[in-house]
Amino acid sequence: MRRLGILPALAIALCAAPATAQRPADHGTAVIVFGQEATLPVPLYLRGKANQDAADLMYLRLARVGSDLVTSGDRGFEPELARSWARRDSVTLAFELDPRARWHDGRSVSARDVVFSFERARDGKTAPQHTVLLRRIESVAAEGDHQVVIRFTQSYGEQLYDATRHVQILPAHLLESLPADQIPGSSFAQRPVGNGPYRFVRRDPGRQMELAAVPEFFLGAPRIDRVVLLLARDPEAQLNLILDGTADALESISPISNIPRVEARGDYRLVPVPTFILGYLLFNHRAYGDRSAPHPILADVEVRRALAMGLDRTRMVRATFGNYSAVPQGPVAQLHWIRDPDMRSSRYDPAAAGRLLDARGWRDSDRDGIRDRDGHSLTLRLSFPGTSSARVHLAAQVQEQLRGIGVGIELVRLDGPVWAERRNRGEFDIDFSSASMDPSPGGLTQSWSCAGLGGSNVAQYCNPRVDSLMASAILATGDAREAWRRVLLAINADAPAVFMFAPTNVAVIHRRYDNVTLRPESMWSSLWRWRVTPGRQIARDRGSP
Amino acid sequence: MRGGPLGRLLAAAWRAPGGRTGLLLLLGFGALATLAPPFLTDPATMSDVTAGAMAPSMAHPFGTDHLSRDVLSRVINGARISLVIALVAVAVSLVLGAGVGMVAGYVGGAVDAILMRLVDGARAIPRLFLLLLLILVWERIPLTALILVLGFTGWLGTSRLVRGEVLRLRHAPFILAARSLGASPYRVLRVHLLPNVAGPLIVAATLGLGEVILLEAGLSFLGLGVQPPTPSWGGMILEARPVLITAPWTSLFPGLAIACTVLAGNLVGDALQASLDPRTA
Amino acid sequence: MTGWLLRRSLQAALTFAASLIVLFLLMRITPGDPLARLEGDVPLSPEERSMLQRRFGLDQPLGTQLRHYLAGIARGDLGVSIGHYPERVGSLLRSRAAPTLLLGGTVLAINFTLGAWLGVLQARHRGRRLDRWLTRLSLAGYSMPSFWLGLILIALVSLRWRLLPAAQMTDPLLPADAGALTRLVDVVRHLILPAATLSLVTIAGTMRYQRTAMLEVLRLDFVRAASARGLSDGQVLRRHAWRNALFPVLTLFGLWLPVLVTGSVFVEYVFNWPGLGSLTADAIAARDYPLLMGTAMLASAVVLFGAWLTDVGYIILDPRVRDP
Repeated sequence: MRRLGILPALAIALCAAPATAQRPADHGTAVIVFGQEATLPVPLYLRGKANQDAADLMYLRLARVGSDLVTSGDRGFEPELARSWARRDSVTLAFELDPRARWHDGRSVSARDVVFSFERARDGKTAPQHTVLLRRIESVAAEGDHQVVIRFTQSYGEQLYDATRHVQILPAHLLESLPADQIPGSSFAQRPVGNGPYRFVRRDPGRQMELAAVPEFFLGAPRIDRVVLLLARDPEAQLNLILDGTADALESISPISNIPRVEARGDYRLVPVPTFILGYLLFNHRAYGDRSAPHPILADVEVRRALAMGLDRTRMVRATFGNYSAVPQGPVAQLHWIRDPDMRSSRYDPAAAGRLLDARGWRDSDRDGIRDRDGHSLTLRLSFPGTSSARVHLAAQVQEQLRGIGVGIELVRLDGPVWAERRNRGEFDIDFSSASMDPSPGGLTQSWSCAGLGGSNVAQYCNPRVDSLMASAILATGDAREAWRRVLLAINADAPAVFMFAPTNVAVIHRRYDNVTLRPESMWSSLWRWRVTPGRQIARDRGSP
Repeated sequence: MRGGPLGRLLAAAWRAPGGRTGLLLLLGFGALATLAPPFLTDPATMSDVTAGAMAPSMAHPFGTDHLSRDVLSRVINGARISLVIALVAVAVSLVLGAGVGMVAGYVGGAVDAILMRLVDGARAIPRLFLLLLLILVWERIPLTALILVLGFTGWLGTSRLVRGEVLRLRHAPFILAARSLGASPYRVLRVHLLPNVAGPLIVAATLGLGEVILLEAGLSFLGLGVQPPTPSWGGMILEARPVLITAPWTSLFPGLAIACTVLAGNLVGDALQASLDPRTA
Repeated sequence: MTGWLLRRSLQAALTFAASLIVLFLLMRITPGDPLARLEGDVPLSPEERSMLQRRFGLDQPLGTQLRHYLAGIARGDLGVSIGHYPERVGSLLRSRAAPTLLLGGTVLAINFTLGAWLGVLQARHRGRRLDRWLTRLSLAGYSMPSFWLGLILIALVSLRWRLLPAAQMTDPLLPADAGALTRLVDVVRHLILPAATLSLVTIAGTMRYQRTAMLEVLRLDFVRAASARGLSDGQVLRRHAWRNALFPVLTLFGLWLPVLVTGSVFVEYVFNWPGLGSLTADAIAARDYPLLMGTAMLASAVVLFGAWLTDVGYIILDPRVRDP
């Protein structure tokens, strides 16, 4: 009997909305689903996309690249921390900081912060991958409180890009007393202080991170007051959070067979967003886990070419992505301005692949379906993260197709962090890599040049000729397209990888939002411009912050 | 020697209605797994990968999975793998369990005490954890190793059972008589004691069959068991997760296969147990 | 009584020590390297690194390693987690225990009430259609892989019919000032499906055990005597059989704990329930050996504690029963 009495109380509890303060009609909350956890969203120290996306909400750069995503030249960039800049000569840029910019603890953003941030970025210990990207900066100096002068080692087209893109500004007054290696464990890392439109509120490890809008944000008051980054590692769980209304936004639906399910829910919009993502099968030039020895199979360029010819990329991409991916023809994503639509990195010709392998001595002498030579079978391990449903889907197809030309593929499916570590240590034969590439073609140096050998170039691909072609392309002023075309042709000739997919994300955004822009190079960074269409607020938009 | 009790038990199982169903199911699966594969499409063939998962049809009675591989073929080939793993693993467990149990029970003393204490300690650790600790850092475990590890973690209960029986019978007149006639311990164990534990052992084996199948499916579901492209029921359910709603047949059939096989094992085990102890019928 | 209790507790402690030894041996014979993930991105301090090496590193001499291993456990220090760095294994286990207790407790409660009742029902209607059908249904549930059943329930109940949430324990967006009742309802809504999954899978055993036990009891002389005196079945049960039938409930407790611990790994993984089971799943995915060891130790401690509790319960219920 007592049990029945609870039911009415429960009913009331479920229906009653908590009393709240009145909020403006166009303000709201945004719950975004993340596939990885942002454990350290501190610029320069962060690794991984989740951390970068979270940091992009809390930290600004001096300026950002324009919506045309052309990284060369001085035009089109949008002011952020720097409200204007001027070119003093062919190797010097002077930036004037916006005096209204503030840290979340109230202090003013000053030139000292910029100098400090660049110092840390360039010191080689904090963030080696940044150091490579900033190698053409000679000096960064403050002139007064709000003026920063950056000098470059030489004249080249992407000076403004290099000066603004790679370094998000960190607070000197909070960090300069801390040695670089102590920052990840510090209290600053637990509660980062930034200068962007959103400030850190709290993090529930393993579950979510919450950010709150900074109402005095100098570029404009955000209308989205509360941002929750919800963690769901599993693509299915991510989709469920959308389908049951818990979340408002998801960067990418995966696999595409789920698109109709979201469409069936009329309150979400599907927004295709081309990306800078490039997925590729990376061949290890060195032996598995042993960088001192060449790879017994893959060091041979003809074998690599044969493997590339054995793959029908168009078909595989269509099966996995439907219409939502291009087939890249070199280490370039869809949005790179240097992309040449007529170039082909490899063609699908299994017969020719077979002949090529025969010529290199790989024949199936024991009739087991897999080629062999001198007693070693042509078997390679393909490593990929289980968290990427696209790569899981493709890996099985790659295995099947290569089996058709007598190459045995062992699928090694790993969890995200384990996969990343193995990759960094060179413990792979073929790694199914996926990178969100830098909008600048100069970023190619990280993975495809000898200079990148200590960092992102985990496959140890090194061709000095390609390096020099890249160097001249980077230095070219004027239209560098032809120079970059030569670089791409040279890389493709070496077949260091099979370039598999350049996807278009299908983002899911709740329809109640207005003024939504999704920037391909930094998806959520314009969140502070969104607003809720008046009259369409839902419960959590009205809830207390 | 073992044929006697085994035959009697099987006949008893056949007589019980549940047991008969179980036996038929097991035989059916076994027959399909052994005989059917040559008549089915290759489980790794992707017939039309751009079409993705296709609903059941005449061409594909169980439909195709997200990579357009025939689900029926994969389920039956998976049956072959699962049944082989289960049978061999259970056999390994039986041998190990009977062996350790007999030694402990017969030798007694400190050996028995230490062995059984360790066995009890190991039994306190749920079997899944034992498995995980053994295979976690093993890159791509080969099938043989998986079977051995499964067998190696399943003998603990059996050894206690056998030891109990040996202790009970150790001082029975017929044993004492055999020993006084000069029979070696080995002979005593094998010829006199073993047939007496055969019954409970066989029951434990059939029930263990279901347990191994579930564990192996669970491991494959976690990515640790049978490695692709070898089809396994647990692995199929794992791969079918992204298309759970859009292509439900891809997870339905492998799951049903697991459930039916385990059910069959349990039915037979139950019937055997009932025949050993009719009061619970 | 006290003497018995002491002896029984000592026995439990000794068995636990044996479990620890077994875990240690497993670690030594595992063919891979438990510390394979130690290099790379994990920024351990030198002290932590050497501590993990001493405990889990396979190049250590057996004696030294065993010593450090046992000493560490005695101190309550289970090491640092590689996957969740910098959290320590002990604090991770503590922080994730409550949700699993909630889930496990709910499933046990369902088993003891619904399962026991159904078992008794089966005993009363022994041999008849109800009995046979209940057996078949419960066996079917028992034979299903828990993760598959969980996925089916999610697909139908959460995704297709939209009745209950599909994952996690709480709604992450509950406002900070939500009342206790709202929070309670929220947790209950999230609890239903995982608890149903685990219960469906375990209830068969409970029912069967209870049925057997009840049949045994019904045969006991004093019950027959009561029946002969003319009492109806129901009255016989109520008056005499129940107390004795509590024994199976206790036995079940000891029996089901290992199953619950194992099942919770899969169910929590599928439902993203933030408990020890999903922590184990995390450890698996991240190849986090220290954490896996910690959960295995905790699992065996729980199982042994359950067995101990069962025996204590027996003694309380019937002092004539003694440790065999």
